[in-house]
Amino acid sequence: MDAAPNRVTPAIETVRLTKRYGSRPVVRDLSLRVQPGEVYALVGPNGAGKTTVIRLVAGLAFPTSGTVRMLGEDPHERPSVRRRLGAVVEAPAAFYPYLSGRRNLRLHARLAGGVPAGRIGEVLDRMELTAAADRPVGIYSLGMRQRLGVAAALLTRPEILVLDEPASGMDPLSLHLVHRVLQEAAHEGTAVLLSTHHLEEVVAYCHLVGLMEEGELIDAVDLRDRRARFRVRVSDVPAAVALLRAQPWVREAQRRGDHLVAALAPGTGAERLAAALVGGGIDLLEIGPDVFDLRAHYRERVTAERARRTAVEALAIDAEPQRLGRAGRAEHGRGGAR
Amino acid sequence: MIALLSMELGKLAHLSSVRFGLVVLALFPWLWAYAPGVFDVYGFFIVSGFQVPALSLLSSMAFLLPLLVAIAAAELLGIEIQHGTLPTVLLRPVTRSQWLLAKLLVVSALPFLALAWFLLASLVAGASFGFGSFVGGTGLGASGLLGTGTMAPAAAWGELLRAYLIAAYALLPIALLAVLFAVLFMNAAAGALATLATLIVMELLVVFPGVTPYLLTSQLSAYVAPASDLGWVVALIAFYCAAFAAVAVIVFERKDF
Repeated sequence: MDAAPNRVTPAIETVRLTKRYGSRPVVRDLSLRVQPGEVYALVGPNGAGKTTVIRLVAGLAFPTSGTVRMLGEDPHERPSVRRRLGAVVEAPAAFYPYLSGRRNLRLHARLAGGVPAGRIGEVLDRMELTAAADRPVGIYSLGMRQRLGVAAALLTRPEILVLDEPASGMDPLSLHLVHRVLQEAAHEGTAVLLSTHHLEEVVAYCHLVGLMEEGELIDAVDLRDRRARFRVRVSDVPAAVALLRAQPWVREAQRRGDHLVAALAPGTGAERLAAALVGGGIDLLEIGPDVFDLRAHYRERVTAERARRTAVEALAIDAEPQRLGRAGRAEHGRGGAR
Repeated sequence: MIALLSMELGKLAHLSSVRFGLVVLALFPWLWAYAPGVFDVYGFFIVSGFQVPALSLLSSMAFLLPLLVAIAAAELLGIEIQHGTLPTVLLRPVTRSQWLLAKLLVVSALPFLALAWFLLASLVAGASFGFGSFVGGTGLGASGLLGTGTMAPAAAWGELLRAYLIAAYALLPIALLAVLFAVLFMNAAAGALATLATLIVMELLVVFPGVTPYLLTSQLSAYVAPASDLGWVVALIAFYCAAFAAVAVIVFERKDF
């Protein structure tokens, strides 16, 4: 008998997650999986359903159908799993305005069942809030509140971080700080799910990007695949493409204008690519990483999806009179038979 | 649970309705202590400091105290909605029912705290009349304000404490009803208004004599009821409290945030 495959329990898993408010679907059939150490960014236009997904995953809202699992557990059935969760679900992050940042974090620590001594100071320091820690949150700027939100989320060294636009309204330095902190958390093994509009920032360190439109996940891009791609300028592009396609360690090679783009197998570097081209008698003029243009991809996919929906709706409108006509004729026919 | 309770108690001090209520309840008894027209309206003169708490209670149980208690109770939940802290708290490993239960327990303490403060303020306001034996009644016993002879301080204290305790208990379901409405509407103002509207409708239902003994509003004067009726009052109020708290927890458990 075969042994059962050794599957790692995903840190976050949603299966066919659907949320309706009345008859209006806000999230439809959304399935995603985030493994420990992965960063998954949900991007999409305003109103696409990103915040609802975040709230469903965090256990604040109930799915109409489908499931949410946090480290294999349903957060509604087992609220104790939230001990392993850090989250920011409001933008800006919400705190008691009459308490200082430090006292707000103390309160969070108590609700979480306690944190080691010095941890509050540590996260305040990490988020560069030590100087403001003893001032009431009511006088904090938007960016400071957001940073305090991330500090609260990091307080218990969570295995999962779920964040709704954690860097909205931040200045460039704070924005960089938040994304750096999230990147470090993922590096230490935390699974991160965030919704964001900061495409340039997330593309630098996210592993997966889910593109949402009208409550649906219309595309999921694995950026790890995109990072092993190189853009090469050579003397003879068609010959270089043919040469590379014959190599087993080249997953894809194609012409893009006067360049070629090659996707290599994991673990293969640009040196090998360069050596193969030079060895094949092709003059190598320039080689560099093929940076994935998430913004262009986003624009293209959302525009295409909107065009598709408009076409489907137009077809449905066209088909409706015909359907009604057929139904009317059938009714008339039955009436005549009587 | 203790952490939750102490957290919720701490929030009470930051509620604007609680601060406002404390000021109103502190000033209100002075009106009675020094009102020039008490004799014209009630036909008697205040002769003892024990009568000021009675007049304060008699004149505030119908509207002022239910109003203050309902607003403060609804605000204890509403402040979380206003500050957006409700989801933040619910993300921590406490169950929704634990959290709401802590709120309900603190809200349950509200009428007792309010009336303790009100009694204290009334005694301070009436201090100039003295707290010795006096001819008359406290207004909270069977003999009313006129009494049946000389009243000893011990008997007066007994009547006051009994009346204030029963009055606080009668306000308890109003506080819990305000929380229930605040949970339903997720809004403090709507919660308080719905509670007051319910009380006003109940007041009007006295035209149905069969229903009257079961109304919340009928229990608001229980502090002057004879001891023989208290068993019924205690049981009915306990039923209302249990029902309001249970419905609030059930609704809250299924709310989306």
